[in-house]
Amino acid sequence: MTLSGARCPLLALATLAALSHAVQARPVSYAGGWTIIGESDRQSSSALAHYTPSPNMSLGLKTEVNRDSDFAIYSVHPTLLAKRWFGADYQGNLYFHGGIGVASGINNRPGSDQMALYGGVMADWETRSLFVGYRNRYLEAGDYASQFMQAFRVGFAPYEGDSGDLHTWLMLEIDHRPSDPDSVTATPLIRFFKGPLLVEAGYNLTVNQPLFNFTYRF
Amino acid sequence: MSFLRTTILMTTALCFCLPAAAQDNHDHMDHATRDMHEHHDHDAQDADSSHTSHDDYNPASGPALTRTGDIESALAQGGEPIVADVLGVVCDFCALAMNKIFGKREEVAAIYVDLDTKALSLVLVPGASMSDQTIADLAVQAGYRIADVRRGSEALGNPS
Repeated sequence: MTLSGARCPLLALATLAALSHAVQARPVSYAGGWTIIGESDRQSSSALAHYTPSPNMSLGLKTEVNRDSDFAIYSVHPTLLAKRWFGADYQGNLYFHGGIGVASGINNRPGSDQMALYGGVMADWETRSLFVGYRNRYLEAGDYASQFMQAFRVGFAPYEGDSGDLHTWLMLEIDHRPSDPDSVTATPLIRFFKGPLLVEAGYNLTVNQPLFNFTYRF
Repeated sequence: MSFLRTTILMTTALCFCLPAAAQDNHDHMDHATRDMHEHHDHDAQDADSSHTSHDDYNPASGPALTRTGDIESALAQGGEPIVADVLGVVCDFCALAMNKIFGKREEVAAIYVDLDTKALSLVLVPGASMSDQTIADLAVQAGYRIADVRRGSEALGNPS
């Protein structure tokens, strides 16, 4: 699959994601690698493009639309790989992620542009058939929001695909957002993974909202 | 603030387009490299993954070279076979990273990352060499670690 051929669908997916968050898959790539990530959950949608200058960090630009509170954040988004644990059959990772940018009202929400700051921790452990991940984030966006969220995810692969095969994962994500009326929700999802593309689709059973994520790496 | 927002929006849009152009250039560079070294299709792993063979697995010394079409072609050219046990390769993104990092090297004629055996199979260009330290350093650039490296007949599944 050449990227030029995939550019249009990628842009379409990125746009979709920008119009409408989760435990990211590999938020730091190989040295010299680019990654495009689109995420849409019950609260917000985001598009992130990042470059990995060294295998321990990535630096990206992110646009995030908070649909519930009608504001958007435009930020510079670094991610640091603090620790990676290796084994013959497993890999574990600890990341610190954050961002600084501007928060603006959307959909006619009044208010001036304000500085937005966020940061958090991500951790995951996986084998070829088991996955456990955790992520949290605290966001401070002036009058627009002060939010904390955390999400825990477990998953298993019904079969173990080799390089280039279609990999399939069945997962369950539990997220906790203390400021929401439905503070704890559950989202079963399916992950498809082939070569440079990862796509996730799920449905939040608590608040009846779809989840859609994708990651494209090159 | 609005200037900063506009700048970030525009740069984000650029990031969706520039890497594509960069990838196109990289593909051209890959093709140039392939022209220099026939049968060196570093990015054709997906197409060959269904033609792999693990018949040479030797539990005493670890997995042997995975035989893809590119690997066989490179071996036929007389390149040195190398198998490296890699820690932490559990998904296709891991394989992609190894392919991208090792595939850029002119010494490498063919490459395959086998998730089943957690082994990186390399065949070098005839006359080329690559030290264990270089292999380990490249694996680190990809985000992983090398546990062991086997060469020559041992890499082919014939322990000395």
